Amino acid sequence: MYRSQKLGLRYLTAAIVLFGVMTVAGLLSAYYYVDPSLFYGVFDFQMAKILHINTLIIWLLMGFIGAVYWFLPKELGREVAGIWLAEILFWVFCAAVAVVAVVFVVVQYGTSDQFSMWFINQGRKYVEAPRWAAVAIVAVVLTFVYNVTATAWQSRKMTGILWVLILDLVPLTVLYLDAFPQITNMSQDLYWWWWLVHMWVEATWEVLIGCLMAWSLMELLGTSRRIVEAWLYIEVMLVLGTGILGLGHHYFWIGTPQYWLGIGGFFSALEPLPLLGMVVHAVYDAGTHRMKTTNRPAFYWVMAEAFGNFIGGGMWGFMMTLPQINLYSHGTQWTVSHGHFAFWGAYGCGVIAIVYLILKQARAAEDLDSRAWKWGFGLLNLGLLGMVGALLIAGITQAVYERAEGGSTLQAFVVASENHWFQSGMYARLVFGALFTIGYLILAYDLLTIGRRAASIPARVAPG
Amino acid sequence: MTHASIFLTSAALGLVVLTGGAYAVLYSAGLARSSLRLERAGYVCYGGQLLIVLAVCLASPLGWLWKVFIAVSGVAYGFIPPVTWRLLDTLHHDRSP
Repeated sequence: MYRSQKLGLRYLTAAIVLFGVMTVAGLLSAYYYVDPSLFYGVFDFQMAKILHINTLIIWLLMGFIGAVYWFLPKELGREVAGIWLAEILFWVFCAAVAVVAVVFVVVQYGTSDQFSMWFINQGRKYVEAPRWAAVAIVAVVLTFVYNVTATAWQSRKMTGILWVLILDLVPLTVLYLDAFPQITNMSQDLYWWWWLVHMWVEATWEVLIGCLMAWSLMELLGTSRRIVEAWLYIEVMLVLGTGILGLGHHYFWIGTPQYWLGIGGFFSALEPLPLLGMVVHAVYDAGTHRMKTTNRPAFYWVMAEAFGNFIGGGMWGFMMTLPQINLYSHGTQWTVSHGHFAFWGAYGCGVIAIVYLILKQARAAEDLDSRAWKWGFGLLNLGLLGMVGALLIAGITQAVYERAEGGSTLQAFVVASENHWFQSGMYARLVFGALFTIGYLILAYDLLTIGRRAASIPARVAPG
Repeated sequence: MTHASIFLTSAALGLVVLTGGAYAVLYSAGLARSSLRLERAGYVCYGGQLLIVLAVCLASPLGWLWKVFIAVSGVAYGFIPPVTWRLLDTLHHDRSP
């Protein structure tokens, strides 16, 4: 095994641990909706939420980076250039995440000054990590970009997937710099901040997961390189074609010119179309291979990714993306429902599929089939579906009673929050969140014991 | 927009995508398993999608430009599964280097 692949495994382990932290922080946030007094004044809702969404970003990012460190030496047949630096930066990354988490839990917030921004909280949603940690993340990402490009350069070999990956890493890195400006005009600040959030999630990350899925499909189903690369080019073209200007749906209500209503609505409404192609591709692959694979967990998670992305991103998104409806739905639990479903479908399922794929090889496991992965798969997806359903009900209640009928006043907010549909939705979300957490624990157990568990069976049987 | 029209329009738009997805799945599964019944079920879903698109165009409070756009995308949904399938088939059976 290459050193880079060992590093990849470390990244994936860290990703799964952070997935757990994200789940617990999410469950805690869900609980605050039914009992806000829990830890009141000690660890309030906003801190649990910050921990939840920041770990969401970091676990997926670590999953992507880990997967690339695993696949890259296989792709080029050589060790990754500058791997020693990447190994050091991995620990820097982990240390930064741990320190930031401790600061979020213990210190939480400071006065509105430069010290707070540098050492406590940068104050920008999704990228709240203080400035020093943001600088560390830039260093990690730059090292990662160097590792990938220098390895390709030194091996004098280039593949279609690598071209797409390297070209994608440029905007991925540059866009993160949008986390840094200190703009006091809120409209301008949000304008650029959305470049980071939207372009990562609905453009550069889509391309990145596309590259990882291309490698995964080659290994999982034995699909030829020519096919996955041709499909990758088409998907990248379509996703970027609709995704980049789909950015406009974030510009509806932040003080930008009115033409963004048309641009945003039009391009976001096109976004489900490439996802429809992915669904056809998933069915084609499943049909061609008759659902037969040596890695059923990975295969099922890949399928969950295709369908989850389509329904969570496409259907849920289209329900609320036109400006006429978004006027009422934005900022409600409806958006939260869409966010959960789309992140899970587009990225969460994909990273879990890759982890199963890699663990099978890393531990030389013959057979991954077990009850544990099925329970994990079932509970995580059932929990997620229940959560997004409950959030949708709560969100529509807000859109109707708070926005459409109440005119978005504070009184209307209170009325909607006391509506029994909203409250039932919040309770249901908590129950399904707990189910999701149990699913995570089973998944973690399965990932921890794959290969090892299989190896222990003959050892136990042999003496008898 | 009244609260009923927000809910109904949004639900209809969601159903447009859902029936489009159901059409894609059933049509592709029909071809993959050589099942005419599945393929026909796919067409039924697409028919359902066109009916929902028609309802959105006739009854929703959206502006006429949006209605035209939704009607056009409804037609596009009809082409995507067969075109994608043909493309995938060509890619899989093309043996050229």
